[in-house]
Amino acid sequence: MANTRRKNRIVAALLFTVAGGMVGMAFAAVPLYQWFCQITGFAGTTNVARAPAAAVRPSTKTITVRFDANVDRDLPWRFQPEQSEITVHASEPTLAFYKAANGSDRAITGTATFNVSPHKAGVYFSKIDCFCFTEQRLAAGEEAEMTVQFFVDPGIFEDPNTKELTAITLSYTFFRVPGSDGKNAVQSAAPRPRRPIKG
Amino acid sequence: MADHAAADGDHGHDHHPTGWRRWVYSTNHKDIGTMYMVLSMFAALVGGSMSMLIRLELMNPGIQYFADFQFYNVLVTGHGFIMVFFVVMPALIGGFGNWFVPLMIGAPDMAFPRMNNVSFWLVAAAFVMLMVSAFTQGGPGTGWTVYPPLSNATYHPGAAVDIGILSLHLAGVSSILGAINFIVTIFNMRAPGLTVHRMPLFCWSILVTSFLLLLAIPVLAGGLTMLLTDRNFGTTFFEASGGGDPVLWQHLFWFFGHPEVYIIIIPAFGIISQVVSTFARKPIFGYLGMAYAMVFIGFVGFVVWAHHMYTAGLDADTRAYFVAATLVIAVPTGIKIFSWLATMWGGSIDFHAPMMFACGFIFLFVVGGVTGVALANSGLDLAWHDTYFVVAHFHYVMAIAAVFGMFAGFYYWIGKMSGRMYPSVLAKIHFWAFFVGVNLVFFPQHFLGIAGMPRRIPDYPDAYAGWNYVSSVGTFITSASALLFFFIVWRTLTAGSKAEDNPWGEGAKTLEWSVPSPAPFHTHEDLPDLTGKQPAE
Repeated sequence: MANTRRKNRIVAALLFTVAGGMVGMAFAAVPLYQWFCQITGFAGTTNVARAPAAAVRPSTKTITVRFDANVDRDLPWRFQPEQSEITVHASEPTLAFYKAANGSDRAITGTATFNVSPHKAGVYFSKIDCFCFTEQRLAAGEEAEMTVQFFVDPGIFEDPNTKELTAITLSYTFFRVPGSDGKNAVQSAAPRPRRPIKG
Repeated sequence: MADHAAADGDHGHDHHPTGWRRWVYSTNHKDIGTMYMVLSMFAALVGGSMSMLIRLELMNPGIQYFADFQFYNVLVTGHGFIMVFFVVMPALIGGFGNWFVPLMIGAPDMAFPRMNNVSFWLVAAAFVMLMVSAFTQGGPGTGWTVYPPLSNATYHPGAAVDIGILSLHLAGVSSILGAINFIVTIFNMRAPGLTVHRMPLFCWSILVTSFLLLLAIPVLAGGLTMLLTDRNFGTTFFEASGGGDPVLWQHLFWFFGHPEVYIIIIPAFGIISQVVSTFARKPIFGYLGMAYAMVFIGFVGFVVWAHHMYTAGLDADTRAYFVAATLVIAVPTGIKIFSWLATMWGGSIDFHAPMMFACGFIFLFVVGGVTGVALANSGLDLAWHDTYFVVAHFHYVMAIAAVFGMFAGFYYWIGKMSGRMYPSVLAKIHFWAFFVGVNLVFFPQHFLGIAGMPRRIPDYPDAYAGWNYVSSVGTFITSASALLFFFIVWRTLTAGSKAEDNPWGEGAKTLEWSVPSPAPFHTHEDLPDLTGKQPAE
């Protein structure tokens, strides 16, 4: 009897651990999905890299990189790329420029997310330096120029899935950081009048 | 304790708690099972009324009753949660599981009787919280899938979704504790000689279901907690503005949600196996195949979740994998269907009410299952996702098949539970009325879905009026049959004929038929010795 009770407690403790482990797995999903996308380039996730080894000469094959910019509806900024496209050689580190302007009357902090299209090109697009996920604070009326340094991996021309591509689009979306401008909560869903941005 | 038990055998203690303490502080698996069944029946009235209101509105085009669309969405949400968490799960797992797993394996009670009680009262509390959330600041109008952004603070300000999250956490803890209880009981407390490969298939079904609960519910709990912190504490798990993604919720929810539907149906599979073998007077065909088919379904059920997400923007190769994996589940399921048929083949069949419901289950689960196979194909699902075709599919397998399993179990076991038999003519009328009713409700919904009618809407274009009318008429018949069922329950408990220990004859070989009807408060106080006996099945 006591033996059964002891065995019961051991199995129960084991099962509680399993249940707890599964809760852990749910929270681990956040970095795990991130890691998985990073490794495989799934859904247009780009790579982060230092500059390619100096011995690799830029190849002769080229591909066009297009630049796209968006703002979330909560962010009264003007945000656009300074060049609509650049034709680059593979492995060639390239600099591109975006400009953001705070057209409102108060200082706001924003952060940007980014993606690459088509998704299958993501794993070959390596960003050396960019302004994504760093908070950018712009005072009322202030403008800022932001840079992206990247290169396209030559593997994109060998991979049968991607070799037919002639263009990749890099897209950034700027969001307001809640709390940064004195408005703590995320805006409610009620429709608001649109205001034109000056300048 | 040890002093009295040896002398008295199965009718050991005559004294047991009485009054309200017997129920509120219960540590008796039969009483707790009874409480679960009462809760399930009460919740069925509430959830069923919600579905009546929905179908009343959908009976004709135009808005007749629910101009407050948020309230309509709350009805849709409440109906789903109540049926899944407070009707089917409490009846099959809490009710029949608690009553009959210890009886069938020769155990005097569950491994942790007081934790068993905690599980029950947590479900009761969760049900109350869900009802509270429905009336809090607009209620949760999110559907049972609670997707953000609709469920986050921007679009559901107020406490309704938070209280709903609390309700689900309570129900989740209840299920995890119950699952641990069942696993420990089945592994450690089988009577001597009863190996796992000889225990009844209903016990197998509860064992597999318990493992699914143990592994799936914690993931829901994690996701719910993330939603709670996103709503209230500034996290951005599901918000792009902070680097999160609403699709993460879908992954977490469906990682739980798909095993959940197997949690709902596998205990019903177990009941059907018991009933079919009893009334065909033959052991189940292919016992090992049946047991391991359930294990396999449970296992593969964990790696197919994204077939609920074919329109969420997944990669084509990802979708291809999930199509293939989902189709695989049809194989062990088919093995079970054929095994039940093979059991009946050459058997001498008595069509008592439990067997009628079991045969109805087999047929109607196949109907629901094949539409599931169709939906597994992401190409077709692109057209059918979020249409009434999906609604028809899951209602066939849950509202029809699983409920047929519940009724089969009720009629099969009510004599053992209450000591009284059901009125057999009324039971057959109940079967036919319910059969006609639910098929009338849900079969036309396939047509509506293929024709493009979306789900979760209060109104629709005139072109959909015809089948919607037919479907709603079906709910009136179904409601009438439900009222008949409640009358049958009352009649059975007050005036049913006395049940013998085994009313079903030679086909009923499992251990519960060897104890008196109604089963005494304490049973198997002396462990039966099953070494060398035939498999109980």
